[in-house]
Amino acid sequence: MKRYLSHPFWQGAIVVVASYVAFEYVIGYVLPVIGVASAPVPSSVIVEYMLIVLVGVLLYMSADEDRWQRFREPIRATMVQPDRRTVRGILMVAFPVLIGWLAYERVKPSYAAPATLRAVHPAPPNQLTFRGETIELTGLENPLREEGSMEEHLAVGKRIYVRNCVPCHGDLLDGQGHYAPAFNPVPADFTSSGNLPQLTESYVFWRIVKGGPGLPREGTPWDSAMPAWETILEQDEIWAVILYLYDQTGFPPRTWEEEGGHE
Amino acid sequence: MKQRGRALNSHLRNSFWYGGKSMRSHFWNRSAALLAVVAMAACGGGGGSSEGAADDAGEAAPAAAAVDPSTVGTISGMANFGGMVPTMEAIDMSAEADCAAGYGADGPMAQNVLVSNGGLANVFVYLSEGVSGAPAASGAAELDQVNCRYTPHVLGVQSGQDIEISNSDNLLHNINATPTENRGFNISQPRAGITSTQRFQVAEVMVPVRCDVHGWMQAYIGVVDHPYFAVTGADGSYSIANVPAGDYTMTAWHEEFGTMTASVTVTAGGTAMASFDYSGEMMGADVPMGDALVLEHGTNRIRVERTQ
Amino acid sequence: MRAPRGTGIVLLVLFAGTPSALAGQEDAAAAGKVVYDRWCAECHGETGQGDGSAAASMLPRPRDFTQALYQIRTTGSGQLPTDADIRFAIENGLPGTTMPGWPNLTDGEIDDLIVYLKSFSRFFGQGPAPEPLDFGSDPGGGPAAVEAGAAAYLTMLCEECHGLSGRGDGTSAPTLEDWRGLPIRAADLTEAWVLNGGSSVEDMHTRMLTGLDGTPMPSAIDAMNSGVVSPDEVWQLAHYLASLGPREMPPLRDVIRVGRAEGGLPADGGEEAWAGVEAFYFPLSGQVVQLPRNFAPAVDGLWVQGLHDGNDIALRVQWNDPSNSPDPNWDEWQNKITTALDLDGAEPIALDSVGAPTSRPPDAVLLQFPFEPPEGTDRPYFLMGDAREPVYLWTWDSETGVGAGRGRGLDSVEPLAEDPVAGEATWEEGRWTLYLRRSIEIESDGLDFAEGTPTPIAFQAWDGSSAEVGKRSSVSTWYYILLEPPASSTVVVTPLLAMLLTGAFGLVLVRRAQDRRRDG
Repeated sequence: MKRYLSHPFWQGAIVVVASYVAFEYVIGYVLPVIGVASAPVPSSVIVEYMLIVLVGVLLYMSADEDRWQRFREPIRATMVQPDRRTVRGILMVAFPVLIGWLAYERVKPSYAAPATLRAVHPAPPNQLTFRGETIELTGLENPLREEGSMEEHLAVGKRIYVRNCVPCHGDLLDGQGHYAPAFNPVPADFTSSGNLPQLTESYVFWRIVKGGPGLPREGTPWDSAMPAWETILEQDEIWAVILYLYDQTGFPPRTWEEEGGHE
Repeated sequence: MKQRGRALNSHLRNSFWYGGKSMRSHFWNRSAALLAVVAMAACGGGGGSSEGAADDAGEAAPAAAAVDPSTVGTISGMANFGGMVPTMEAIDMSAEADCAAGYGADGPMAQNVLVSNGGLANVFVYLSEGVSGAPAASGAAELDQVNCRYTPHVLGVQSGQDIEISNSDNLLHNINATPTENRGFNISQPRAGITSTQRFQVAEVMVPVRCDVHGWMQAYIGVVDHPYFAVTGADGSYSIANVPAGDYTMTAWHEEFGTMTASVTVTAGGTAMASFDYSGEMMGADVPMGDALVLEHGTNRIRVERTQ
Repeated sequence: MRAPRGTGIVLLVLFAGTPSALAGQEDAAAAGKVVYDRWCAECHGETGQGDGSAAASMLPRPRDFTQALYQIRTTGSGQLPTDADIRFAIENGLPGTTMPGWPNLTDGEIDDLIVYLKSFSRFFGQGPAPEPLDFGSDPGGGPAAVEAGAAAYLTMLCEECHGLSGRGDGTSAPTLEDWRGLPIRAADLTEAWVLNGGSSVEDMHTRMLTGLDGTPMPSAIDAMNSGVVSPDEVWQLAHYLASLGPREMPPLRDVIRVGRAEGGLPADGGEEAWAGVEAFYFPLSGQVVQLPRNFAPAVDGLWVQGLHDGNDIALRVQWNDPSNSPDPNWDEWQNKITTALDLDGAEPIALDSVGAPTSRPPDAVLLQFPFEPPEGTDRPYFLMGDAREPVYLWTWDSETGVGAGRGRGLDSVEPLAEDPVAGEATWEEGRWTLYLRRSIEIESDGLDFAEGTPTPIAFQAWDGSSAEVGKRSSVSTWYYILLEPPASSTVVVTPLLAMLLTGAFGLVLVRRAQDRRRDG
């Protein structure tokens, strides 16, 4: 065992196999189990990654003449040694079959949906129009934080949320409302640390006011079922529901100081 | 109790509410003569002076629950109906041919307002004030399902009394009772011969009972915590026996006309009279001329048309 | 009439006995109130009457805790639920309704919440604690049990409400009301994943014996005790119900695969021709994007199958709908829906002088595609397109049949008279089967399909008897439909070539290495 571990060829082989396992299974399936948000890696990306790993291994092996010789040794031996005839024969058949199978996987008819790459948080505009009224978004704070009773704002926000948002975003704000299965992409999960805490309240305001139809043209605009809420809700109601979202999930909104670099 | 037509019913109840003391005694006086018609119902103010019967009910309250023939009397009377009788609509029982076959050529009709010779049937009358102490319930009340209708349509029971519900139809009924003061029940009886026994523990007037399989099937169970109640028969008459002597308030309930009350004094060995007057004329009072008034009730629609 | 909030707490406390238990119950109810106000009150109402601010858009309505009428119980009809029953409903939610499960609540929070919920009703705390019924034990499933259960289904006359196929289309279905007098569906037993009491054999068995209080579903226990069915037959009936459809919602696949038909396309939607063709299920949501919104849609999903022969494409769309609208038997249902639901500004259907609706909308379904083959992944707006990018529609309704149209938004559909799409629909035992057929490429306006290229597709559906018209519909977002291309030689040639080249390359390498060794 130790002999194999110290041999460059087997070291290289282990690195390649371990990398493949990591890309194919660990990222896609193990991370979500331990609570890290992740998704399976597309096969084309895996091929790319594996090529990089392979080149890396070869570069490392050939960097040192002695190591390179030792690395090549088992390969060369398999190709020439008479006592390795059987192994050689098997590899001579197995390798072309493997390549053939990979080629088949690429050319066989596919019934998968075309991959759609979607910006999770598309760049917001600097201003928007709310029923004809122009509102500057840059630097905009939630006006309700400065006026009236927070308790009342939260009560309004909750009423608005339950009446309008629950069917898709769910009672638990986790994007698992009773209509969620019918929507692709699925409704936003407000309990995810990737959403609310990454966004300023003005950003959330923009996404609510303009909804799916207001998304920028790039990033497949028409897939979101999010209504343009300016047609249904008043500005104060939207600001109140934003307060409710942050309050109920316990996240603080991103501030303009944090945002600073992006301006 | 009824979702649809509630506003209308409450309106009817208001216009038929004879709650005032003078009206009560007025009733009493007239009832004694067993007069049937309601021509003077509108001139409510003309009644005799108040006897204060209800006021000193406590003084005359019967002391014991046991029935001693020398201390009890009888209450009897009529539910009178004057004026135009609303036409009952036919029930469409075509979905249950076996049931429909149980009726004559005219087929089954709704039972909301049954009037015969000026008497109104299915009025639940009971002593609502003045009773103190009562014998425990004995025997079972019976509610049957015959030809896709409840028999009887209105049933009175004492709280805690067994109600034996049976099915004489060889088809599926469910008995869905929806009280608010008691716990309800909803039992299926998919065959003839099945009997279910149920009870209501506290007084409640009335408990609606319906069959969800046959939307037209509706019954009402009046639950009171004493045995002094009755349901008027087909001729509108009723009689309550073995009532301890004393002063009482009686309440009459009807599913389309709401409640009325009357004062009654029972003397030992005597028969007190208490009658209740209902009127088709008053029922149509708010209806614009020429238009039809529709009372929705279960799946039945009662068409009430005013004739001039 | 209503006992004031808190009365129940006092009762509970009185029955709890000792002062320390008393204090404990009070603390629990207070803690439960915090949970309730945070998560439950907006639907169930601050006073527990099921009349929260969002309730009017829900059907069935949220539970009214003051009546203590609980559907999901292990106790007899009309009995109070056990604490475990209430916990079951909180943890699992009521599938098919707006009540979700609450995995965010801790066991302790649920305990407190139960104490508080019970405090809404004066019925709790009176008399002995409710006891579960004796449900006996399951004699086991299997084909024989399912067959016996099917017989018991008829013996118990379940079809009066649930229909012969279990899709909730029985003759009594149109008149069913809950205890509030609001219209309620007979459960569609073929969609077990939306049964509010759960989808397992045990769940079904329990629901039959306890009934669902507050609904028309009665308890079968007296029928069983009278010998109409034996206890074993009730279990077999549960096995039969569980066999009527999948327990879980079918997995969502986003590409409808339209295979090549061997021996010609089916000429209609008949079962024989379509048996064995892969079916794809798509859940639908209410149209809750544009006013007036539909928060209680009637059609909750549809199945799609497709075949093509290189010239024509044929689709079969099936969905469950207990009413074959327009049907006067459902008039009262339609009226009740109109008055029971918050229509979000929609014009209710007017009634005539005897209370009959002045119009009976038809059932309808439409399939939408982009009008032009899309570039990249761009697609029209999923609600029937917009002014910039129209959609191509295949429309069907139960009055005018199949047609095609161009959609520029939910309000704007223009029929395409020239379009050659044809088809027909049949309604049987609570299910519509819609057959559609068109040539793959057409000369008139409309989308040409291309074999091997995924084409976006989306759906909408209406149940006329539930007063669904216009924007009050069920919708889906975009999926894809893909016509299987003819078998291509490249599928065989390319791998063979790759193998050949690799093999030759390997041979050369080995030969050269061996030569060099001999030379060396």
